[in-house]
Amino acid sequence: MDDYKITTDALDDVGHLISERALKGETVLLNMGPQHPSTHGVLRLLLELDGEVVVNCIPDIGFLHTGIEKNMETKTYEKAAVMTDRLDYLNTVGNNLVYCLAIEKLVGLDVPARAQALRVILVELQRIASHLVWLGTHGLDLAAMSMFLYCFREREMIMDIMEMVGGQRMMATCIRPGGMWRDVPAGFEEAVRQFIRIFPKRIKEYENLLTRNPLFLERTKNIGILSKEDALRWGVTGPMLRASGVAHDLRKVRPYSGYELYDFDIPTQSDGDTYARYLVRMEEMRQSLRIIQQALDKLPSGPVRSNNRKFVPPPRAEIGVSMEALIHHFKLWTEGFTPTKGAVYEAVESPRGELGVYLESDGTPKPFRVHWRTPSFLNLQVLPLLAKGHLVADLVALIGTIDIVLGDVDR
Amino acid sequence: MTTGSVWEWIIKSVVIVFGLLTGFAYLTLLERKVLAKIQVRIGPNRAGPMGLFQPLADAIKLIFKEEIIPSRADKIIFVLAPIITVIPALIILGVLPFGGIITLFGRQISLSLADLNVGVLYITAIASISIYGIVLAGWSSNNKYAMLGGIRSSAQMISYELALGLSFIGPILLSGSMSLHDIVAAQKPLWFVVYQPVGALIFWIATLAEVNRAPFDMPEAEQELTAGYHTEYSGMKFALFFMAEYIKMIAVSAIAATLFFGGYRFVLEDQYPILGPVWLLGKVIVLLFGMIWVRATLPRIRYDRLMAFGWKFLFPLALANVFFTAIGIVLEKLWLIPLLTIAVFLGAVVMVGISETRRWRSHVF
Amino acid sequence: MTPLQIIFIIVAVITLFAAIKVVSSRNLVHAALWLILVLFGIAVFFVILSAGFFAAAQVVIYIGAIAILMIFTIMLTRRVARDSGAQHNSNWWAAAVLSLLLFTGLSWILSRWQGFQSTAQPMLESADPLRQLGEGLVAPGGYLIPFEVASILLVAALIGAITVAWERK
Repeated sequence: MDDYKITTDALDDVGHLISERALKGETVLLNMGPQHPSTHGVLRLLLELDGEVVVNCIPDIGFLHTGIEKNMETKTYEKAAVMTDRLDYLNTVGNNLVYCLAIEKLVGLDVPARAQALRVILVELQRIASHLVWLGTHGLDLAAMSMFLYCFREREMIMDIMEMVGGQRMMATCIRPGGMWRDVPAGFEEAVRQFIRIFPKRIKEYENLLTRNPLFLERTKNIGILSKEDALRWGVTGPMLRASGVAHDLRKVRPYSGYELYDFDIPTQSDGDTYARYLVRMEEMRQSLRIIQQALDKLPSGPVRSNNRKFVPPPRAEIGVSMEALIHHFKLWTEGFTPTKGAVYEAVESPRGELGVYLESDGTPKPFRVHWRTPSFLNLQVLPLLAKGHLVADLVALIGTIDIVLGDVDR
Repeated sequence: MTTGSVWEWIIKSVVIVFGLLTGFAYLTLLERKVLAKIQVRIGPNRAGPMGLFQPLADAIKLIFKEEIIPSRADKIIFVLAPIITVIPALIILGVLPFGGIITLFGRQISLSLADLNVGVLYITAIASISIYGIVLAGWSSNNKYAMLGGIRSSAQMISYELALGLSFIGPILLSGSMSLHDIVAAQKPLWFVVYQPVGALIFWIATLAEVNRAPFDMPEAEQELTAGYHTEYSGMKFALFFMAEYIKMIAVSAIAATLFFGGYRFVLEDQYPILGPVWLLGKVIVLLFGMIWVRATLPRIRYDRLMAFGWKFLFPLALANVFFTAIGIVLEKLWLIPLLTIAVFLGAVVMVGISETRRWRSHVF
Repeated sequence: MTPLQIIFIIVAVITLFAAIKVVSSRNLVHAALWLILVLFGIAVFFVILSAGFFAAAQVVIYIGAIAILMIFTIMLTRRVARDSGAQHNSNWWAAAVLSLLLFTGLSWILSRWQGFQSTAQPMLESADPLRQLGEGLVAPGGYLIPFEVASILLVAALIGAITVAWERK
């Protein structure tokens, strides 16, 4: 951290990058983004270049600010769940999961075993889908354009499964406090098994195109080395941390939703460069498949929602025959449930790292404070550190390797 | 010089120019179709049967688009740059033989525009001019991305011109002439690619860089420089850059076919000279397919590595190729040339592999 | 007048005009572009003299390499592309007199030379100027030693340039 400081003197009072060196003509200032093909959305980078070498790089965020945190505070706990999908739009069910886990912890709800296993399957599928988007766009950034379409072909299968479960391809909100929205349809298991059968071959195909490709190695080896110490200091999590040699994965460290039942490895690498991060994510896709396989094999039968009517709305069929159910339904969808005063923090391992949510209840049906600890935001902080001394072309690879989702950065 | 021969020249020139323009239009379609097939997509199929009218639709769209000239651009050069880019691409094939001599309306017509005794040099000369359009476009746009693209392209094209020029020397030495007609005639028994496998490879790689094709499409690297030197261009001016790139692809493929793959000569060409252009077209399409395939498969090489590759690998290899070709010719043992050059090439590849692996291990970027 | 002469006159006028623009143009890039036009005009003269090799060499070396390096250098330097100072100083008349004298002197010498008045013989069909040039450059009886000395000089210049530009890290 000592060798790198963002030189704030290079910024004037409205945040424009100015620098003595640039005024003298020694360096060039370049504005990259927010309208740029490879900033993965609307990231703006202020660059100071010496030739094509990056001397200074200041990420400027906020172009996709949605105010989700504040908006969630104006909704009841249950209704705010739909907003979580919109945060990190590549990890929609993962966002649902962490929010529901937090509520369940806040009010003390139990989740049936079947719902837990289904949650794991969906979240792991989502992790693969997210990594596929990362791999495709990372490839595209390095101009390996076919990778993008190959990855999206497989992602399409996962999107179909998501649609089957939640009725929507991306923003399904199928995980709800106390379990699942409803049980999975009949063809679900078959579709997932089909995916598990096909996908290992496809990973091999990607690896054939990239892993030993000299041009790809040129572009990723020793690019953006993040040391173990720096990674820990900057609060980097997820595959980026694991590629720097720290075997930290919340699924192992503090298991949630029954992850302790499954047997899987945490892939790590020690180099901490872009290539190591690539290897880690590729291996993670394989491990996710293993988890899905195990979860599917021992998928318990039974209810997918908690029976605690004070917090979980009754099924539709019950409303017609039971007065209590109707009252509960009415109460839950108008006023919402009321947790006791208190605060919780719950975190899961999202495809990008530790995704945490902090809920504070003041005893009313709406949360007093919602705060998200989003991995993209914290991981993006190391971009200036990684970019320093590299070429503009590498910067593109670095944005890809951090795997930011701007919706996750500006919430 | 008779009026008849003047008319013959004019007609031939017009045919070549229109042939190239049509070729450009359908090359874009071919590229999109091939890329789509490789990338498990369908590709353009709306305009006409199998999307055959797609180039037409694209052209109409580009013609009717608004042409924007940035207010702080150097207007004259900004307008001139696309024109300077297209002209070399159109005239480079002036010395290429498209076929033998055919009889048409009782008149002996040679299927080529001109037979220059310095044909190969003419090609290098024209190729060296074509840099200007890109450099000037980058400079006159008054845009930093365009400027970076322009600087990259000039450095890249100057560097790869050396290897390109040296790879011409193999066929020149083997045929003893700089005229492309003589080079084709000398390949009657055997294509030069047999004697010059490494030379042909160097030529192909260098031309990829010369026409800014992937993986050397540095000047317009979309992901880095948005669109490089033509960031500020729109409408027909943009189309001219596009046109120049694709016509150059056709031109270098035709030149490669002529220098290394026997030109217009192939089976039955002696009996039916009219087959000459057809064979040439066939060879060009095969080479173009190779270019498209490379684009679909390989990531882009980084700019500094590109320069290192050009200067430290391709250029010495091209020199070695010339050296061993000359040795083979002096000793009158032509079979020695491919053996020696391939041995040198493999040795160089192994050495580069070792040094690169060491570099990656040492954590220096 | 033959068509060739008409072409010569047109190209000569264009070349001279471009040459004047090279020194009078205020924008450096424009000046470089005018210079390219001059070099191109000279290449056309070579073609008119049926010296195809020299024409191609002129384009490859002067336009394709030297002029592009000039443009490259101009592009890399900032804010000097536009010059606003006076274009001549108080001694302009001395330069005018000197150049006029030089011009008359050269014209006088040329007018006394035989070849100036007679028409050159067209080249024989069988002649191979390219081969003659090549042999003249490398044959022991030709210009081998000057040729090699020139190459050594260029290599020395190359090494010198690298040494000057080398930045030790």
